Amino acid sequence: MTTRRLATPVKHLGLVLIGFVMLYPVLWMIASSLRPGDEIFRSPGLIIDSLHAENYTEGWYALSPSFGTYLLNSAVLVLGCIVGNLVSCSMAAYAFARLNFSGKRWWFGIMLGTIMLPIHVIIVPQYVLFSNIGWVNTFLPLIVPKILATDAFFVFLMVQFIRGLPKELDEAARIDGCGHPRIFAQIILPLMKPALATTTIFTFIWTWNDFFTQLIYLTDPDMYTVPVALRSFVDSTVATSWGSQFAMSVVSIIPIFLAFLIGQRYLVKGIATTGGK
Amino acid sequence: MSALDELRQLRRGGVQVRKSDNRAAFWFLAPWFAGLLLVTIGPVIASFALGFTKYNLIQPPRFIGFDNFLRILSDSRLHNALRVTFTYVLVSVPLQLACALGVALLLNRGLRGLAFYRSAFYLPSLLGSSVAIAVLWTQVFGTDGLVNRVLGFFGVEGRGWISDPDTALSTLIVLNVWTFGSPMIIFLAGLRQIPEVYYEAAAIDGASRRSQFRRITLPLLSPILFFNLVLQIIHAFQSFTQAFVVSGGTGGPSDSTMFYTLYLYQQGFSRFDMGYASALAWFLLLIIAAFTAINFWAAKYWVFYDD
Amino acid sequence: MLRGLRRRTALTVLLSLTASLLAACGSGSEAGGELTAEPVTLRFTWWGADDRHKRTQQVIEMFQKKHPNITVKGEFKEWNGYWDSLATTMAANDAPDIMQMDEQYIASYAERGALLDLNEAKKHLDTADFDQKALATGAVDGKQYGLPVGLAMYSMVVNTDLLAKYGIPVPDDTKWTWDDVRSIGEQVSKAGGGQVFGVQSPGINDTAGLSIRARQQGKALFDAEGKVVLPPEIATKYWTYIQDLAKAGIAAPPSVTVEKASAGLNQSATATNTAAFGLWWNTQLTALTAASGAKLKLLRLPEESQAKSPGAYYKPSMFWSISSRSEHPAEAAAFVSFLANDEEAAKVLLTERGVPANVKIRAAIAGQLKETDKAAKEYLDTVPVSDPPRITPNGASTTDAILKRHTEDVLFGRTTPEAAAASFIKEVQSEVDAAK
Repeated sequence: MTTRRLATPVKHLGLVLIGFVMLYPVLWMIASSLRPGDEIFRSPGLIIDSLHAENYTEGWYALSPSFGTYLLNSAVLVLGCIVGNLVSCSMAAYAFARLNFSGKRWWFGIMLGTIMLPIHVIIVPQYVLFSNIGWVNTFLPLIVPKILATDAFFVFLMVQFIRGLPKELDEAARIDGCGHPRIFAQIILPLMKPALATTTIFTFIWTWNDFFTQLIYLTDPDMYTVPVALRSFVDSTVATSWGSQFAMSVVSIIPIFLAFLIGQRYLVKGIATTGGK
Repeated sequence: MSALDELRQLRRGGVQVRKSDNRAAFWFLAPWFAGLLLVTIGPVIASFALGFTKYNLIQPPRFIGFDNFLRILSDSRLHNALRVTFTYVLVSVPLQLACALGVALLLNRGLRGLAFYRSAFYLPSLLGSSVAIAVLWTQVFGTDGLVNRVLGFFGVEGRGWISDPDTALSTLIVLNVWTFGSPMIIFLAGLRQIPEVYYEAAAIDGASRRSQFRRITLPLLSPILFFNLVLQIIHAFQSFTQAFVVSGGTGGPSDSTMFYTLYLYQQGFSRFDMGYASALAWFLLLIIAAFTAINFWAAKYWVFYDD
Repeated sequence: MLRGLRRRTALTVLLSLTASLLAACGSGSEAGGELTAEPVTLRFTWWGADDRHKRTQQVIEMFQKKHPNITVKGEFKEWNGYWDSLATTMAANDAPDIMQMDEQYIASYAERGALLDLNEAKKHLDTADFDQKALATGAVDGKQYGLPVGLAMYSMVVNTDLLAKYGIPVPDDTKWTWDDVRSIGEQVSKAGGGQVFGVQSPGINDTAGLSIRARQQGKALFDAEGKVVLPPEIATKYWTYIQDLAKAGIAAPPSVTVEKASAGLNQSATATNTAAFGLWWNTQLTALTAASGAKLKLLRLPEESQAKSPGAYYKPSMFWSISSRSEHPAEAAAFVSFLANDEEAAKVLLTERGVPANVKIRAAIAGQLKETDKAAKEYLDTVPVSDPPRITPNGASTTDAILKRHTEDVLFGRTTPEAAAASFIKEVQSEVDAAK
């Protein structure tokens, strides 16, 4: 038992050390966002002599519209994508995990196949398509695909989680006369909270960070999102305001970090703590 | 172990298609079917067709038969890209998954400040594809970076790790491992789904920690492990953003970080040869599909499902 | 229901794809027609960083005040995203009306039929105050596809603070040679003790250095037809020089050199005060000075006085181009004319896009320039040049990247200068051929 007690501080020390190494770049970015812009690359390391907050105010207003617009746009987009993914992917996943329908293996194969083609050859025909319906410069080309379960990653993730749930639960429900909609809504969904939380967190973060599709579809600066705006600070052909860039990078991480902090609480409330059956 | 045998027997018996399931499946899959038809299938077919053409994005595509696919065989820069990509996939995926699983197991057990550690370990993944990564990575592996300062403390002379063709790929592998947050979260969610009663029962039977891990945790986590493996392999084959950002879009130095998709992207968007890029994409699809098929085949022997 | 839906959507998808893949010609008004009084919306896109975005948006508003019926939507991007986005919108026949164009890409877009010949819009686009030599840089086969915005010249930037610190005199740039650069650089490296080096290695960021070497001997990278005519000896000599700088410790070790050169202006050796000499465009002096905090000076290129004809030339920093599919070419031309000729607009834009190519505008803003911008302008006004090289041909847009890869191969000992020269010429030629 004494070795146990000793092991805990050692464990913590190890975790803290690993944590520092992992966080070093993040800490450096925060430190640099508080330095005067022209000193960033001339004084390496984490130590700052004096605090300079002007990168934050300058960065916020460096582009027109100001940074608040981009945060708001990203928030709207993220919300749409989360709702879309949660509803459509969980439905599709239920079908693949619990229903025995004809051609299931084929459909599943096709679903996985859709994530194997690189985006760069899909984007041009897809842009042509959406441009013809007049959806360019709206959030529709970014949200509608999510509502239509095109994110096979999450379908597959949820399939794996549902298959991990004891089958006796829905067998029992079926004997009680429950149909699939009720089994799905009242038994499976509550039990797969960790998977839903994971989907929410990931959709949030990936949408928040996704640059390429947002760059292509959003053309008007009033519609720009955070990642598109953040890159507008950086142009290799001219001098870059790295101070503003880092400051706004820090600002843009805060929402996803908060989302993660809140979301991870639901990760813990799986079957393990609610007691299972 | 007997449960696995039972499962295998069930498999051999095959699955019965139920008629009522067909109707239910149609409704549950309705959004997905709609997405397939409206959003996915058109561009997929278009990219396939473009693979047989010369298409510079502005003038109409011109049919050239199998030329693009034949070019794949003789393109030496592509062969280098394949070598780089395979090295990356085979090294970084196992490393990343091992880290993710290890930390998830460590963080799953009762330990004070869990939420803090989880968040700290996840933070790098939030930055993973940010444009700031290029600069941040220079701060770690650059000439004046953290690694060289630590090495200098021990009297070892460093170099610019990112800009040396011998080590550049390794720094990208470390970058990928550094962002192990996503698979870690999925593992954590999976671990949380294992009913506590199993462990309680095993503890009453006097099973050791190690045997609990082997007999309960591993089999019950296997669907999640399988998921992570399949998806991380697909993801690694398509790896683009990090190499693009760190090398400034060049895949340099000396093509040492020229990933397959980066090469494909350059063909399409810098050389305006979208025909060849499309052919490359379908060739990559074949490779990834082969890996995925092998994975699914092997899964029969180690992945445990409760259905 | 599903079957009907499927057939209909498949049809829509197919139709819309073919409709756009088969490049439709621009409809709408004529480039030479009258300006309309109807409300018109123009899309205008450029690349750059935040400073440029602000100034340009300000100028857009000035234009809108003068033409209340014309709305100009400014779309700003950074360099890489700009080209991805432009390529995609072009494919969908959905490109912005006015775009900022680069020397590497202008022939590529022009020969694929995406750009309007600005001569068609002469009525609305005034080019009288442009030097003919400068205008010629935006012409392909006699058609004006781009109006040069600013001009830049390749130059040697020297850090005079560093030289003063080590007690080394600033060389006389009217007579100096590449060997002088080498020997002075050697002194700096010796004094610098492994922290500061003599020369920031050339050959990584652009082909201008190689082109200058060829031009000094009366040769060129491309001939008028776009064929690669660079003599292999010149390329071999170029890479031998670079290799020698690295081996002799006059430039930083290869991995350091490549790291700094690839990281962009702020992290370059010149900007971080770790090299005394570096080849740059003269217009970058202001940004470099701000980043380094040191005194920097523009010197003439080495061996210019011994050369058959000057290697130096005017390089357009960028062009204004109009999409050939624009529905409002006349209004777009009026906007470009405003950007290029309006003095009030010029006072906002200043030299952010290079020293203005419009001679009258250049004189008009002279009083407002910073010390470093004045130096850049003076360099442009006084240093002798010869005719500009042929515009980068269609297909050769990736020449810079090919050069960079070959320089890296040489620096890291993966190939010899001779082999690199042969391989470079072959690869660029095959790129030009592939685009035909």
